Amino acid sequence: MLKSALDALLREVPPDLLHKCSEISSRLTNVLQLATEARHHFVDPTVAAAIDSLPNRINSQGFDPWGFSPQEAKFYYSLARHVFDYFRPEVFGLEHLPKGRVLLVPNHSGQLPFDGLVVAIAALLKASPPRLVRPMAERWVSTLPFVNEMFARSGVVLGDPINCRNLLEDDQAILVFPEGARGSGKTFQHRYRLVEFGRGFMRLALQTKTPIVPVAVIGGEESIISLYNWKGFARLIGAPYAPVSPLLPLLGPLAYFPLPTKFRVYFGEPMHFEGPFDDEDSVIERKVVAVQDRVQELINEGLLKRRSVFF
Amino acid sequence: MAHVLITGIAGGLAQRVAQKLLGQGHTVVGIDYRHVRTPLEKLTVHRAHYNKTIIEDIFRRENFDVVFHLGRVFSLKEAAGKRFDLNVVGSQKIMNLVVQHKVPSLIVLSTFHIYGAHPSNHIPIAEDEPLRAGLQFPQIADAIQMDNMATTWVYRHPEVKTCVLRPTNIIGPTLHNTLTQFLRLKHVPYLLGFNPMMQFLHEDDMADAILLAWQSQITGVFNVTSDETIPWRTAISLSRAKTFPIVAPVADLFLRATGNFPGYLIDFFRYPCVITDRLFRSKVNFFPRHGLEETLWSAVSAARI
Repeated sequence: MLKSALDALLREVPPDLLHKCSEISSRLTNVLQLATEARHHFVDPTVAAAIDSLPNRINSQGFDPWGFSPQEAKFYYSLARHVFDYFRPEVFGLEHLPKGRVLLVPNHSGQLPFDGLVVAIAALLKASPPRLVRPMAERWVSTLPFVNEMFARSGVVLGDPINCRNLLEDDQAILVFPEGARGSGKTFQHRYRLVEFGRGFMRLALQTKTPIVPVAVIGGEESIISLYNWKGFARLIGAPYAPVSPLLPLLGPLAYFPLPTKFRVYFGEPMHFEGPFDDEDSVIERKVVAVQDRVQELINEGLLKRRSVFF
Repeated sequence: MAHVLITGIAGGLAQRVAQKLLGQGHTVVGIDYRHVRTPLEKLTVHRAHYNKTIIEDIFRRENFDVVFHLGRVFSLKEAAGKRFDLNVVGSQKIMNLVVQHKVPSLIVLSTFHIYGAHPSNHIPIAEDEPLRAGLQFPQIADAIQMDNMATTWVYRHPEVKTCVLRPTNIIGPTLHNTLTQFLRLKHVPYLLGFNPMMQFLHEDDMADAILLAWQSQITGVFNVTSDETIPWRTAISLSRAKTFPIVAPVADLFLRATGNFPGYLIDFFRYPCVITDRLFRSKVNFFPRHGLEETLWSAVSAARI
């Protein structure tokens, strides 16, 4: 019925108009095509070399099953590198990054996941050999148009135990924020104080015998400041939290532009845990707390050494 | 040599299976409620609904060694009640007849659609995972129920070697299923801002998988897929079609207008539903013979020239 209604509608439209519409649409498609091709000119040669040196686990069309594409990742990582440079990070302890499977466990902060980006670029460009870090993302990221594709092509994976286990068994590096959205959405008065870690990462580490590298990221908390989490608005737009910036009355939406704080990233020595992965929560919890305490220690040490937020 | 019954014989996949079986010297009886356009030589065809009594007579007369239940109504042109009758009541009838007439083997064709394309899908999905499709789309309830029925059947009737196959997107030159027809369009749309990973299996490889499942006498539920996973837009470009973006609400309208495109399939163009057939391949010696590029091109080449 719908088809016949649509056909009737099409008959009413002058053929000339249809022709013009199709021409406009094909022009638009051409522009999109050109934009896609032009992207390759923006690829940073160091990023490209690092990605080329990664072990090849992709199929004939250049994708892994999660949608990571080295070719497209080169572009996204080149863009991300500019963000990385904006924060001028100092990276310490990358030599602690073990070969093979590893879980990177940093603190989460700063409203937008710049901390994840900085850790991933550090591991790709500063570690030797370069490591591709697979960050675990929240479920709602998959529902965001464009972002979901950009993330998937860059190696981001939905934070799910089965995804995680498959990647670890494939000896990849996983970046997980056990604080979750509660961590990145924390308000300014709670800065650099970890909220309770989830337990999932520890069960996975035990199950797959994966070392855990605790990481501290300093500088994220001051880049986008949130005084208040407006939960009602967050629910309305389907986001995990809605930060209210103190600069909002002054700058409007620009208040969410990250300030050029200086990032400092500390990679700790790997921690090894043993025991059954399906043990009681209380037993797992003790191991989780050990990691959480170590991350907090790294943060505290980093904060003591810091002389200025911006330099 | 075996005596075989194939349901849904008007479909392209069933024809492929029948062709292979006839080639191996088996005798084949086909049944469908639709008209068979080009009946194969030496193939006996009955036109009947699976839930009607004609099928009882067929079982009474013939002494089948295996039943391939490949007939499933997908088309949304049929009302939900009719689809339920054909897919669920019809399948139940066939399965009961299999037990009643002591047919030793039953192969049931289900689909990976029942897992649903969902933002919280991990990759890949194995057989024992929840069937999320029904969560948002009641239109697929009949497929889920048929699969559940067949799956419990595996355990309730160990005397019948029952194998339920849940293949990924099957495409090919002789198929007319929704996705194949969609790929054959001159301008194939994609959802703006989404480009999920997908799998495609050649009809010929699927026919091989169906025969292998019977010949290896395996029982249980198995995913079947090919080796490579690619984004939807890569699939469009491999099938050498032009493409254009479309926003989701318009897509709904467009898809319904260009064919009878089931609404729940739209999510398969937004979120991934990537399955693994590791279990199947651990039991049978299955290797898809058609590569990805060949598979996609074979499905659309006739429409392109």
